[in-house]
This record gives sequence, C-alpha cells and structure tokens, in this order.
Amino acid sequence: MTDTEARPTYKYVGTRPIRHDGLDKVTGKARFAADLNMTGQLRAAITRSPHAHARIVSIDTSAAEAMPGVKAVVTGADFPEIDIADPIHDEAVNNIARDEVLYNGHAVAAVAATTLAQARAAAVAVKVEYEELPAILSIDEAIADGAPLANPTTRTLFTGDTEPSNFASIGQFERGDVEAGFAAADVIVEREFTTVPVHQGYIEPHACVADCGQDGKASIWASSQGHFAVRSKTAAILGWSTDRIKVTPAEIGGGFGGKTTIYLEPIAVRLSQKAGRPVKLAMTREEVLRATGPAPASKISLKIGATNEGELTTLAGTMYYSNGSTKGFSALTGAMSVASYKFPNLELHAIGTVDNTPKSVAYRAPSAPQAAFAVETLVDEIAEQLGMDPIELRLRNAVVEGDPTAMGMPHPKIGFIETLEAIKSSDHYNSPVPEGAGRGFATGFWFNIGEQSSATVNLNEDGTATVITGSPDIGGSRASMALMAAEELGLDVHRITPIVADTESVGFTDITEGSRATFATGMAVVNACRELIEKMRERAAVIRGVDVDQVAWIGGAAVVEGPASEGSEPLTIADITAQAKMTGGPLTATASLNAAGAGPSFAAHLADVLVDEETGQVTILRYTTAQDAGTAIHPAYVEGQMQGGSAQGIGWALNEEYIFNASGEMENASFLDYRMPVASDLPMIETIIVEVPNPSHPYGVRGVGETGIVPPIPTLANAIAAATGVRMTDLPMSPPNVLKKINEK
Amino acid sequence: MAIVHLQADHRRFTGGEEVLEVDGATVGAVIAELERRFPGLGPLLTEGASVAIDGELLPRGSIYEEVGPTTDVHFIAPITGG
Repeated sequence: MTDTEARPTYKYVGTRPIRHDGLDKVTGKARFAADLNMTGQLRAAITRSPHAHARIVSIDTSAAEAMPGVKAVVTGADFPEIDIADPIHDEAVNNIARDEVLYNGHAVAAVAATTLAQARAAAVAVKVEYEELPAILSIDEAIADGAPLANPTTRTLFTGDTEPSNFASIGQFERGDVEAGFAAADVIVEREFTTVPVHQGYIEPHACVADCGQDGKASIWASSQGHFAVRSKTAAILGWSTDRIKVTPAEIGGGFGGKTTIYLEPIAVRLSQKAGRPVKLAMTREEVLRATGPAPASKISLKIGATNEGELTTLAGTMYYSNGSTKGFSALTGAMSVASYKFPNLELHAIGTVDNTPKSVAYRAPSAPQAAFAVETLVDEIAEQLGMDPIELRLRNAVVEGDPTAMGMPHPKIGFIETLEAIKSSDHYNSPVPEGAGRGFATGFWFNIGEQSSATVNLNEDGTATVITGSPDIGGSRASMALMAAEELGLDVHRITPIVADTESVGFTDITEGSRATFATGMAVVNACRELIEKMRERAAVIRGVDVDQVAWIGGAAVVEGPASEGSEPLTIADITAQAKMTGGPLTATASLNAAGAGPSFAAHLADVLVDEETGQVTILRYTTAQDAGTAIHPAYVEGQMQGGSAQGIGWALNEEYIFNASGEMENASFLDYRMPVASDLPMIETIIVEVPNPSHPYGVRGVGETGIVPPIPTLANAIAAATGVRMTDLPMSPPNVLKKINEK
Repeated sequence: MAIVHLQADHRRFTGGEEVLEVDGATVGAVIAELERRFPGLGPLLTEGASVAIDGELLPRGSIYEEVGPTTDVHFIAPITGG
C-alpha cells in the first residue's frame, strides 16, 4: 500500500520490474566472495586470542611453518607500525593484534596452506605466549573509578586529550532551560534502559580472495559495502599506494553496516605476497560472531516531562554506549538521533566507552534503536498516564521543517506528520486489538547521508544501455539505478544493464552506508544520463542537419521542433546509436559528485502481541510499518527494506544477545545459540510507503535502508506493557527476562 | 561572514557562546577564523564534526562550500550510517 503525495507522474520510477540480478540470485549462479577459486589458490586460517585482554609476550610460528602444506605465516610484525593518531590505526590493529590482544577472538596470526584443513591445523600450532591483563567487559566496569585501561592506545575523540582513557567520546547537547521545563511539567517519567551487543547477522560470512603478483600489485575479490574503501584501507594498513590494489566487488550476502569495516583483506594480501600464490580467506560463523562488529551495548538514563495538555516540555538524560575495544562516536550518534519531538528544553550527555569486547561497528541506523527504546518507551508512558492516544500525543509534538534536532540543526523538509497520519488511518490501527493481546506503537528517525559517488552510462550500438556504478548492491541499488536511467532516457528498464564495477573501471565511490546509494549514486546516474541526452541531441542535429537548439528530447527520442520539423521523424536512441560512428563515435557519459541534502526519514510502527504469562513468550500477531521514502523508486525494494529493518529490530528486541562468560568469551557464537528470528517467528509485516519528496534529489529520494530498524524495540516494549502492565527496560525481551518482570509485578 | 551555531561541548572554547557571527567566505575560512579566535576549536570542527548549512547536511570535507552573512552554519557530531 502506498500513500502518495502529489508528485510528477513517472513512467518507470515507482514501478516494480523484476530485479536485474534476480535470476542469478535465485538459481545460485551469483558469485559471492567465497565462491571464487583460482588456479594454485591457497586457503588460510587465523589464530585468534583466547583471552579478552593480554599482552603478547612472544609468537613462535616455527612449528606451524613446518607443518604439511603450509606456505606462509604472518603476524602483526608483518605489517607496518601505524601511529595511534592515524585514522586507520584502530582498524589496522583490529585486523591483527600488535602488542596486546584486546578481546577474545582478536586475530594474532594467520596461516596459508594448500588445504583449509592444513591451514586450520597450522593456525592452532602457532605458539603465542600471553601475559593476561585485567579485562573490562561492560560499560559499568569501563567507567568505574580507577578502572584499568581496556586499550592503552585509545584517546577520547574530539577533545584533544592525549592521555589514554576508557572514554571513547564525551559529548553534550543542550537547549532551553531543563530545570524550568521540568518545573512546568505536570507529568514526569524517568527510567534506566540497558541493551546488550547484537550482531548484524548477515547470512554471508566475511570472505576474500587476494592474489599478489610479482609486480608488487594485488587483486582482491571481496564482499563488502564499499570496495573503494577496501582498497584504501588495505593500502593504508599495508603501507602501500592505492594504485597497487584492485578490488573487484563480489555479490554481497548482507552487510547492514557490518561490512563497512575490513578484517581480512590486508592479511590475505600479505599471505599471498609471502606465498607467491592466491589466497582465499573466509570466516566461519563462529569467527564472524567472535571477531566482527556487533552493535554497541548501551545504558541510558532518561527523564521526560509533559503538561496535562500533552506538550512534551523537557528531555534530559545520559547515554552510555560501548564501542567495544576501540574508540568511536556511537554515543554521540545515539544522542543526536533524538530528533522526533520538539522538546523546547533538552539536555543530553553522550558518553562512549571502551572495553575488551569486539570492536563495535555500524548496524543499520547506528545507535538510534537504543536511544529510541528509551525515548519512545517514556513517551508511551506519558500518553498512558495522560490517557491520550499515543499517536495523538506524538502528532502534537512531532517535528516539522525548521524544528531543531538534538544537535540544534533544523530539520529540512520531512514527512513525520504524514507518516504518523498514514499509520493512524491504517486498517491495523482502526481494527480492534485482538482479545488478550497488547498493542504497541513507536516511531523512529534516521539522518541519511550523501557523500561521493560516480556513474558511467554507456549507450550500446543497438540502443541498449549499460549503467556502471561503484556502489555494491546491498539493497536493490542495481534496479533503482536502472529505473532512474530508464526514466531519464525514456528507455525500457530491461534494455538497461546495471553493473557494479571494480575500482579500476568506475570513478571513486564511497561506501554504501547511511542509506546513500539510491540517493547519491542515483544522482550521479541521473547526471550522466542528462549529459548523454545533450550528446544525443547534438548527434540528432547532425543527422537531421539542423541546429541543436531545434532538437528537443521528448519521450525517449530526439524531436526536431519548429519549421524544420516537417517530415522529420523522431530519432530514437537506437536510431542515434546506429549512426554513432558517423556522428562522432561512441556515446558515453560519466558523472561524479559529492552529494549534499540527504533527506531524513521517519518511520512509525504498530504491533499487536500476545504474551504468555506462564513462559514469558511474546508472539507477534500483527505488525505494520509506515515510512517516508521521499519517492519510492522501486516500491518492492522499499517495502523489502522496511520489512527487513523491522525483522532485524524484532530480533534485537526479543531474542538476540551476546552472552559473554566471566573471562570475556562469547558463549553463543553460532546461529544455533544466537537466536535470530526466522520466517516462522514473524507475521507478514504490512507496509505503508509514505512519499514526501526530498527537494534535494531529482526524483525526491530519501534513503530507506536504515530507519526501519529504529522503532521495533520500543514498539514491542510498548505492546508488552499494554498486554501485561509491565514496562520492559532491559534487552532482550526474551521469555526468561519477560517472565522475570511479570513475576516481579 | 556566517552565523555559526556550536553544540554544547564546543562551547567550552567560546565561554559558553552558542551562536556567533564569524568572518569567512567558505566553511574552511569560518573554521580558520574560529581557530584564530578560540584556539583549539578549529581541529575539532575539521576532524570531529559534520556541517550543515541552512539545515542541509553537507558531505564530509566540504570546506570550500561558500557561506554568506545570513548563512546558518551548524557544526554537529559526525554522522555516518550502517
């Protein structure tokens, strides 16, 4: 179902063609990184730390090197030292430890051998002598007075501090007068919320193949959200110039932010360089869970005040986010994501911490779900105490264009009100709550970003087209690029082939993150197409023997206008490309940009749940999501993003958690024990696309990939409260945790 | 000249001032002038901030973006994504 604001009528944009890469995906022909095999290829395995924090006293690789089939072994000593002020420092050390191991599972050494079994056996044979150090395993331990350092190289970001610290970042956001705001409030609610680390849970483990030649150059095939970043980061970690590395993007089996970081490529390149043969390095699921980025744990104390009339007067609190073993600004992002309500008075302290758990990385609207859990639970509680409809309370306080976000910046044109109205008029909201069930509602916000993108559009001899971009297709971007090109050129979308090219075949393109690909890379495609149209007008003018000013581009063809038009048939793209050789040569255009004006997106979710008060089991009966997409280029993909974000948020809410033992070892490092939702756990997630076009994009696009994960946690917490009278403040809301709360009632 | 808005943790450099008129024809020039007036603030805005002009979030590194006397420049914490 689509709720559409009046906007131009498009022929291709907004349609739902079969995706260009669909057949390969469903037939198993698509090649992911681990599918690639090269002649003479070696397999590699990594030796990982059994300690959460320890000094590396020595590493003896001699036994491993002597084992059958072993061709190369590397340790941290095989990589250049990097200054701690260098932006790549933390990622380099996270790839392979130098002086200290910083979490259980941290890579210490790697082995390449003829077979995977040989490599794994040799990785076990690498002898590492450790001196154990005190391990910090939680936010509370990190901030305790006199706490030992979790990572001696960490400095507090953006403060200029030069001393090591367990504080990754410290920030503060203020406006108005908080004391006066609470004094003016008739209702004040205050709670503390905690969340635990969760993984992005992509189905494809990290993998790459590296082939280092005798010319000192390396080719890498890798699964990532940005192969140009793989190139630049690998080069920086190896101390190479970027021209020595070519990265070819493999198909990606999910990323959700977790593949914006590299773990394997520098190691694979160095092993290949030492062995003189190609090396494949792929993680097991256990390695993915032990050593790649979870979303951060959090601890949030929040207080909100409101008047009896339902005006939210004040928000104040402190947000702690763990960054795992290295510095980061997840807490700042979390606080900044508090942007949905006007709150004339606001004071938020955002504190990031460092500990000896895996380095946290982005996960779909990073840090926003944890913050929304706190804000939306308290807003719901205020609605309950005031006896107000939860959507009405939000409508009364919802931000509109010009209202400030937590960081003071005014919102551009946004569609929050429209999103709230859409769900308010939904069939779900207007249906009775099933007997015995509870209904929960919550909203979410995400910024979205622009950044750098490039695109080349080639017209082929027969009038078909190839659209070449550098954005890995993690959410349907091929189809979206083809649709925008089709709309611009007036060419059937299935006569356009969208491809994702390697780092030597298309211009630089930033990582696919921040829901930016359809927005920013899409603009590059549009710009390239518009340049091509100008070229085709010029070619048509040559063919028709008229001035180019007399040629218009109408409906996918060059049309001569004015007195010279008599008897002049329109020239289609195929007509023009057929004569390209005679009119100036091949028709191609390239566009690059650094995109500003990414449009923020809002979502509103509604859920009906049953809670088994004997077991604590939560069953979702019905779930609906409304989200502002600006303009849905391919609505089926937009709905897929909304459903996928919802499903991941539901898993985060109800079941997922890293379980560490007292020594910092993850005890549930498999999908058997790390409980993610599967299809049978979920109802069909109903979607309502709201379209309030972003004026900064030629088709009004807003990113849609991330916002959907923000509301599910508070939506379900509020539904559980409605069903049981129990306010859940700690994740996951798994059966034992829900049952415990019910029994405490 | 531009109207600069600073978030709370940057205001320790300005004696608590949140909104300032700052000389400069580009974002980079505004940052340089802020550094001249409030030593130590400049690097934080260059390395640790995203920039929005009149409510529009700019890409990272947009130091050559032009500003005018009525341009609102917000320096905010970095924004990325997942």
